[in-house]
Amino acid sequence: MAIPVLICDDSSFARKQMARALPEGWEVEVSFACNGEEAIQAIKEGKGEIVFLDLTMPVLDGFGTLAQIKQQDLNAMVIVVSGDIQPEAHTEVMGLGAMEFIKKPASKEKVLEVLKRFGVI
Amino acid sequence: MTQTANVSITEDQRDCYQEISNVAMGQAADLLARLLGVKVILPIPVVNLIEVNELRMALSGIENSETVSGVCQGFIGNGISGEALLIFNDTSFNDISDLLKYGGVADKSLELELLMDVANILIGACLRGVGEQLDVGFSQGHPVVLGQHVNLNDLVAANNYRWTKTLAIEINYKIEGYNINCDLLLLFAEDAIEVLNRKVNYLLED
Amino acid sequence: MADNSSDNFKEFHSYMAMLQNLDVGLVVLDREYRIQLWNNFMESHSGLHPYEVRDKQLFETFPEINEEWFRHKAECVFQLNTRAFTTWEQRPFLFKFKNYRPITGSAEFMYQNITIIPLDSSVGIVERIGIIVYDVTDVAVNRIELKAVNDELKRLSRTDRLTGLYNRGYWQECAEREFKRGQRTGRVTSLLMFDIDHFKHVNDTYGHPAGDAAIKNTADQLVMNMRETDVAGRYGGEEYAMLLVDTTAENAKIFADRLREHIAASTVHYQDVSFQYTVSMGIAELNDDIKSVDEWIDAADHALYESKEGGRNTVTIYKKS
Repeated sequence: MAIPVLICDDSSFARKQMARALPEGWEVEVSFACNGEEAIQAIKEGKGEIVFLDLTMPVLDGFGTLAQIKQQDLNAMVIVVSGDIQPEAHTEVMGLGAMEFIKKPASKEKVLEVLKRFGVI
Repeated sequence: MTQTANVSITEDQRDCYQEISNVAMGQAADLLARLLGVKVILPIPVVNLIEVNELRMALSGIENSETVSGVCQGFIGNGISGEALLIFNDTSFNDISDLLKYGGVADKSLELELLMDVANILIGACLRGVGEQLDVGFSQGHPVVLGQHVNLNDLVAANNYRWTKTLAIEINYKIEGYNINCDLLLLFAEDAIEVLNRKVNYLLED
Repeated sequence: MADNSSDNFKEFHSYMAMLQNLDVGLVVLDREYRIQLWNNFMESHSGLHPYEVRDKQLFETFPEINEEWFRHKAECVFQLNTRAFTTWEQRPFLFKFKNYRPITGSAEFMYQNITIIPLDSSVGIVERIGIIVYDVTDVAVNRIELKAVNDELKRLSRTDRLTGLYNRGYWQECAEREFKRGQRTGRVTSLLMFDIDHFKHVNDTYGHPAGDAAIKNTADQLVMNMRETDVAGRYGGEEYAMLLVDTTAENAKIFADRLREHIAASTVHYQDVSFQYTVSMGIAELNDDIKSVDEWIDAADHALYESKEGGRNTVTIYKKS
């Protein structure tokens, strides 16, 4: 059965770039969201078992989205993909329950390595 | 498609420039954070194709009433040329002086040191970040002091720009817990936009 | 194979010759700031041969370099793997070299722009840095001379020709600034206005040039007695205005009385006439009741008027009536 994967980023280019970095031949059903609110909605609809989440976004940013997921006890495995590579941002999202932090632009190799490490692939 | 008289960018291209800037400014912010030992608050970069005489409007992060200090630095690579402008709100200097551990009161010469230190880091790292993503190596000219403690309009007007249109990327950096506000502006020359658009189209292809 | 490598060597040698002869300074330093490369430019200007400086510590070889400052810049390059630029406006030079044009050049030493670039970062660790030294003496000298001319023009536009004091326009600007600062910080500041008693009489009796001499004499006495932080201007024909920062009205009066006595004791000599004269003064200390610079000046003027009414050659402090 295909795994529901959600890519959340306000930039359409970034969403496309992220989708391209997903491992080839991985059986997934990819959905997209433009901000945190849309992401929360999609997760509730069962579209985001694995979520690739950007941090700087309008409406609801990545930090807020992580907090919501935690608060509403939603079932999603979140991998943050961000251009903000300051150590503080990294620590903060890990504290908010993210599984991993990948710096932008995400490479195929890095994404595969992370997914393997968590036994998703 | 043949060259059109009017340069323009599509919404997809603008989105792509914004994302590229986002990644580049993140790298620059990381270096600045390490240099100063602080957390840099990252904004959403603003990308606009503007007339050069509207440059003042592109500096939205800085208030009109404030006096500012600024440096500019030219860059070029693969035929893509432009200038980077770094503009500091003058009230920022006392806090930066503390952070950079120069000690003492920020007088005009110390402020120049601070301005140059931050310019070296932010401009260098941003250009490297943009260059890496577009596969361009940028050479940088020597920075030039535009002015210290001057009115923002005078600072921008003092330069007689030869281009009419410019692709402007504005990144407004703030630092958590400090009164520091600076605007980094990457300005690409009119004749560079077409080359840039081609590079960006390549990234946008499926 | 052997030929090929000798060709390569020749090619390498000619590249090196080019680098050597570039008219910019090239220096390579290792992590301990020891000199690893020193091109012709550096040799010619320093008088030190590459073998004399090789492996020598930069700061020991060139004690004129401000070590703390240079390390600050260089460590950024080492640690952050990024370029650093410094301009002559920060420090005129890194290496104290003589001006390239000893005869026609007006600068004593070479102004320099410096670029510091990271080297050897194949594994992301910067082991060496390269310093590029540009001679920018001509640019710097032109800029400095231009600034000197502009500063002089600015000074002239602020100065009253006869007395050398600030003119009314610029003094008023200063007063405006001081008023705002006083409002913001609550700093004590007093304003002193004064004029020459019976000035019309001086003019009528001794002639206008003699009157001018009295105006000049008053300004000279003022300059001799004032402190560096005081701001004095010629407010009108024979009228003067002065800002005394960090000074209460009482302390301003001590100053004013001394100045008044000095002026009264001085004698003006113009051609074959000599005469003496007096001044009347008014002081107003800035307080919350004063809502504008004009009100402040009016208050001091009011006190000055009282001095006139009270018989002249005296100082009055403004009191709200």
